Amino acid sequence: MKKLLSIFAISIVTYGALHAQSNFTMTYSMGFASGDLADFISQPSFRGATIEFRKMVNPNIGVGMTFGWNTFYEEISRESYTAGSSTLTGKQFRYSNNFPILLAGDYYLSPGEKFNPFVGLGIGTIYTRRNTDMNLYTVEQEAWNFALQPEVGFLYSLTDGAAIIVAGRFNQGFKAGNELDSAQSYFTLNVGFSFANN
Amino acid sequence: MPVVLLSCYPAGPDYVEDLDVTYTTFDNKFDFQTRSTYAMPDRIVVDVEIDDGDTTYIYMKDVFADPILAAIDDNLQSLGWEKVDISDQPDMLVTPAGIKSTTYFYSYWYDWWYGGWYGGYWGWYYPPYYTVSSYTTGSMIVTMSDPNVDDDSPIGESQTAWVMAANGLFTGNYDLGRVTKAIDEAFDQSPYLKLN
Repeated sequence: MKKLLSIFAISIVTYGALHAQSNFTMTYSMGFASGDLADFISQPSFRGATIEFRKMVNPNIGVGMTFGWNTFYEEISRESYTAGSSTLTGKQFRYSNNFPILLAGDYYLSPGEKFNPFVGLGIGTIYTRRNTDMNLYTVEQEAWNFALQPEVGFLYSLTDGAAIIVAGRFNQGFKAGNELDSAQSYFTLNVGFSFANN
Repeated sequence: MPVVLLSCYPAGPDYVEDLDVTYTTFDNKFDFQTRSTYAMPDRIVVDVEIDDGDTTYIYMKDVFADPILAAIDDNLQSLGWEKVDISDQPDMLVTPAGIKSTTYFYSYWYDWWYGGWYGGYWGWYYPPYYTVSSYTTGSMIVTMSDPNVDDDSPIGESQTAWVMAANGLFTGNYDLGRVTKAIDEAFDQSPYLKLN
């Protein structure tokens, strides 16, 4: 993992020096939980955002970093929970804050065109902080999951330097040996703006 | 952007009732089916003041205490329990309390009440996993214990067989409905108390 990160970092620096063009992207991110996260919170998340940087290696390939934040939330109606000889009845307020931190690469199919579809892959980690609140107490569980984030999307050019970006991503955080042991995964639909710096 | 994101953060509970929780736990080695009678004080203590060796008990006003005691009686009797006088050697003692502060007053008031009335000394203790410090101010606590098994204990006190705790019910707008609802819930989630 460390070796992989080093290779990515060196690639970015090297290619960044050779090719000045870069992109800065901000998106609004809607999240749809799957797997263990969906078992915990079934409601979609409309609270999320990403910030992304890409250095263009050549007109077709950009490499860089993606930082994201998605907050999932659900209020569970009054229910009873039993563990051993103890039972607790009450409302639960469930939160999952997920922060993907990824090295990412995109392949652009139609560079220079108004409509420029792309596919990409991010690799890194997702930090998850899960809170289950009842009464004044919270149970907090954390995990740093090794993560992959495949994506498909397109850029739609507005002006020479600005474009609308729409991307669908699957955030797969693999099972981690942390407090929160299970894999954490969710889809996101990202819509935002991308700015090119020539 | 962080400000915008923070302003979108989910708010959580909207009303104080959203925080109401009802907790019950029991000693799974205790056989409730071999018991059938209980005694309960007709007042609820909320605090104990000790000044210069003089002990003063602070009681909940009857207008609040009566519906709470009635709710406990109704639930226990619908589960098959028979209420008897403290002098009739009940199988179980039921002890309701409202926690005004974090003062641990159980050993003062209830030992006095049961001991003073009956002429003997009865006491009981919480098993280690019932920590009184975890009950917030305004909590309603009810315990059930068998005073007749204190000889089985190395410290001469019976272990509490059943505990209910409902946090924070005496805060906010003093809605007694929240308290009686919690009592109903506590017995609903304790089916092992039903006598055959």
